[in-house]
Amino acid sequence: MEHLLSLLVIVPLVGALVVLLTPNTYAYLYKNIALFSTLLLLALSLYAVYHFNTADAGAFIETSSLQYVEKMEWFRLNLGGLGVIAIDYFVGVDGLNITMVLLSAIVLCIGVLASWNTVEKVKAYFGLYLLLSASVMGCFIALDFFLFYLFFEFMLLPMYFLIGIWGGPRKEYAAIKFFLYTLVGSLFILIVMIGLNQSVYDPIKTAELAGLSTEISIAEVQEQVALGEIAKEQLVKTFHMIFMVDPNNYVPGSLLDRANVSLWMGHPLRSVAFLALFIGFAIKLPAVPFHTWLPDAHVEAPTAISVVLAGILLKIGGYGLIRTAYAIFPDAAFHHGWLIGFLGILAILYGAMNALAQKDLKRLIAYSSVSHMGFVLLGLASMTTEGVSGAIYQMFSHGLIASLLFLLAGVLYDRTGNRYIENYSGLAGIMPVFSIFVGVAFFASLGLPGFSGFIAELFVLIGAFSSASEIGAIPSWMAIVGALGLVLAAAYYLWTFQRMFMGAFWVKEKKWLPSLKDLTIREYLMFVPLIVLIVVFGIFPNLLFQLINHSVDVFVNHLTLWK
Amino acid sequence: MRLQSGKQLMETLNGIQENLVYLLPEMVLVLGIIFLIAFDLVFDRKKSVGLAAIAFFTLVFVVFWLVFSFPIQQQPVQLMNGLLQTSPQTAVLKLIFTVSGVVILFMASRSEVFKKLFFQSSEVPIAVLGLLLGVFLMTMSIHWLMVYIAIELVSISSYLLVGLSPGKKNAEAGMKYLLYGGAASAVMLFGMSWLYGLTGTLHFYSDTFLAGIQAADPLVMATAFILLLFGVLFKLGAFPMHTWAPDVYEVAPIPIVALFAVVPKVAALFLLWQISDIDRAITGAWEQWVSVLAIGGMILGNFGAIWQRNAKRMLAYSSIAHAAFLLSALLLGELAYQVLFFYVMVYALMTLAAFFLIQIFEQRLNALRFESFHGLGKPFPYLSILLLVVMLALIGLPPTAGFNAKFYLFAGLWNTYESSGQEVVLWVLISGVANTVVALFYYLKLPYLLFFKTTSVEVNKVMVNKVKRDCLFGTLIVIPLLLIFFRSDALVDLLNNVNFTF
Repeated sequence: MEHLLSLLVIVPLVGALVVLLTPNTYAYLYKNIALFSTLLLLALSLYAVYHFNTADAGAFIETSSLQYVEKMEWFRLNLGGLGVIAIDYFVGVDGLNITMVLLSAIVLCIGVLASWNTVEKVKAYFGLYLLLSASVMGCFIALDFFLFYLFFEFMLLPMYFLIGIWGGPRKEYAAIKFFLYTLVGSLFILIVMIGLNQSVYDPIKTAELAGLSTEISIAEVQEQVALGEIAKEQLVKTFHMIFMVDPNNYVPGSLLDRANVSLWMGHPLRSVAFLALFIGFAIKLPAVPFHTWLPDAHVEAPTAISVVLAGILLKIGGYGLIRTAYAIFPDAAFHHGWLIGFLGILAILYGAMNALAQKDLKRLIAYSSVSHMGFVLLGLASMTTEGVSGAIYQMFSHGLIASLLFLLAGVLYDRTGNRYIENYSGLAGIMPVFSIFVGVAFFASLGLPGFSGFIAELFVLIGAFSSASEIGAIPSWMAIVGALGLVLAAAYYLWTFQRMFMGAFWVKEKKWLPSLKDLTIREYLMFVPLIVLIVVFGIFPNLLFQLINHSVDVFVNHLTLWK
Repeated sequence: MRLQSGKQLMETLNGIQENLVYLLPEMVLVLGIIFLIAFDLVFDRKKSVGLAAIAFFTLVFVVFWLVFSFPIQQQPVQLMNGLLQTSPQTAVLKLIFTVSGVVILFMASRSEVFKKLFFQSSEVPIAVLGLLLGVFLMTMSIHWLMVYIAIELVSISSYLLVGLSPGKKNAEAGMKYLLYGGAASAVMLFGMSWLYGLTGTLHFYSDTFLAGIQAADPLVMATAFILLLFGVLFKLGAFPMHTWAPDVYEVAPIPIVALFAVVPKVAALFLLWQISDIDRAITGAWEQWVSVLAIGGMILGNFGAIWQRNAKRMLAYSSIAHAAFLLSALLLGELAYQVLFFYVMVYALMTLAAFFLIQIFEQRLNALRFESFHGLGKPFPYLSILLLVVMLALIGLPPTAGFNAKFYLFAGLWNTYESSGQEVVLWVLISGVANTVVALFYYLKLPYLLFFKTTSVEVNKVMVNKVKRDCLFGTLIVIPLLLIFFRSDALVDLLNNVNFTF
């Protein structure tokens, strides 16, 4: 298929349009359209994964090894003294994002099922949901920073309305908090993006503009630019993430040029730029201390939106770190390795301890998400193959597990309108299947072997441990402290399970009793596939690793190459 | 003045005659004003259609003339013995002004109340045309006296426009505006007289002037310049001369507010841009000055807007903040006039769109204070979505042209920082980015109230139908905001084709 990746964005967009144009008398169609669109997405992304060439899905630093690439010039600006800026429509996948595309498609499908019973303003709901789907997909496949940023920003808007209109009692506060926090982050990203754009040129287009022969190689163009043989006005500035990775593509003397150390308030500008990108994505991830929007957003959001938020949106933070911050500024990343590793274990421990103290089941899961995303940071900070693979695996696995957990919390909320742990006891007696599913989800999340979370966390810890000897980015005690997070996770999950599901049956309000029925078919449809996937990826980690291995190798090699 | 001999007089007159062809738009405006007066005197009642037709026709004619005789590559031409100078850039600006004028008259004609105010008698259209004539001259002036006269023409028209609308509060605001404005003009004139005394000439492009300011004492020169600057900043409505804006905006009729927010502002900005070369020569610290003014304006405008509970006052503060962004574009110098002009065009578009939509809310739904916006998104989803898009553009979020404008401005600032190494420029950039977050907070308030709150207002069919028709025109203004985002290169290429050299 020629425009496979574009279809991933177009399908939900068309779906949204169809929803908008369908008159209100056919309201029952909206959810079907949404389900159909997301199923189509799933089919397309499965097709993409199936035909993904794992052997040379590698060198993410070279355009040639990307797959399903679509690239064409979107527009080109000639801004006088600012030079020529070219913005491309450039999408493609490699091992770093193919898994995220698959994850998004799965979670988006489940999300539609979870919103099946939405009754209020259905048209707007599914329209916004599909818009969100399109921007999520776009964000994962975009390889032009401008395009990426466009999707990254646009995502906020549907999310804001989805939380703010269909959310819980404090929805308005949660929605604006979510929007403000993420916007602050994305503005940090914006400044760095502008800086990078002003510092990086596109050798191919520059050669074209300067009228060099078509036979000329990229290296020769770079050499000519380095020698100053090409006039500054003829450099075509680019947003190309792949070009930003190669230090030879930096305009000599520009502020972010690796060879030219510019200082800002006494710090190297590259290092400052890395930190700005890091903060931008860390807010999205979210890493402690930037996480405070997450519990509020999760608690107030409707179930399906919580699922999308935890399952996909958090991963965009991690993916952004890998694709931009680490890939473009490996030197600065290494320099700040200790800090990032420390923030990683801080998130793991602080998130877990907070989870221990929560009374609201959804809040508990939200804090456990903070804790689990800490592993992503730790794995990245290690800058080892194991660590980075573990981080990506963790993103994928947490996407599935967190979705499952939020859906399960939603089951209870749907029936009683209350999620407080203290209000329930001995649920196992009257909702046996539900209790089993919750048990499975809890064990998967706390990292029991046999579930995908275990593999991910194991690899992260191996990476963190070996980092000291392999590259020296973080000390090995961080691995040991990080492992404590597993113990804490076991503590809060098991304790919660005991309180809610074991012992004699009791609920706070008598009126809840008639509604406390076991799962419906729709709910089985959501839970069973997720559980199967979690187990499959826990037993056959190679299914995922073979997709990412080669790319991660090249990536880690690139991280260490600059030294 | 010495009496000229007959031959010299003939030469002068010939020169003026030759120059008149360049001044056709101005002459058409004057003719329009005369026709308006005559029409008003001749006919006794039911003259609103005629008056509206004359005003529209005058402006539309000017638009067409400017478009079809557009001097794309022309070198600047000095007119009237060096009082005025016409160039492609003044043509671009005039086009922006006139199109805004057309939009504003159109806005007024969409509402019963404003239709009455604007076209019942000739005063208001005359003041609008007078204001346009003033800004035309203001952009063309290269002579201090001419600058002063042009600014006064703009000011007097503005006082009239505020004072002419009925109501006690209007009279109060008009008076306030007049007093502030008079003081600002006086201060500015004083500054100009210093400049004249120091340099011996009023032509600010002449070599004598440049030599004069270089020879003058820097402290005296700076004082003169500050005096001058404050008058211009008053017109720009920029920090620290912004205090009149919210009060005037609150009471003036919306089309007039829209006019104020776009036309005199852009003209004043352009004047600042023109004299920035001189300012550089004078103070040597022009960047610092502009940066302080820009940062101050951004912070003050944005934080001021947060506390507002009235849509018009909020937009007033927003225009103070945008004036600061426009000011910061001056830092780019001639490096990137495209960025400046791009921002100006997008700003004009966004502001007109915002006021147009707010006018629909005010006139049709009686919503101006924030409480009255509650829940109107449900009965009027399309109108509310249009407002949402405009607010996103004003914040500077994609996918709207507001994002491009801010983005190019930030890129330009980065580039200026890179080439000049002045840290203050980077601070402007950081402050601009940080203020975008603050801007989000208040711009999003209206959509928030529209969609998240519930209404108690009863909606009847007539209202819905009227709003529907208004929305059609609203769409016409909003769509360019989206189109420019996706193909901003078209607009930039257009600007690139224009010869912007002095």
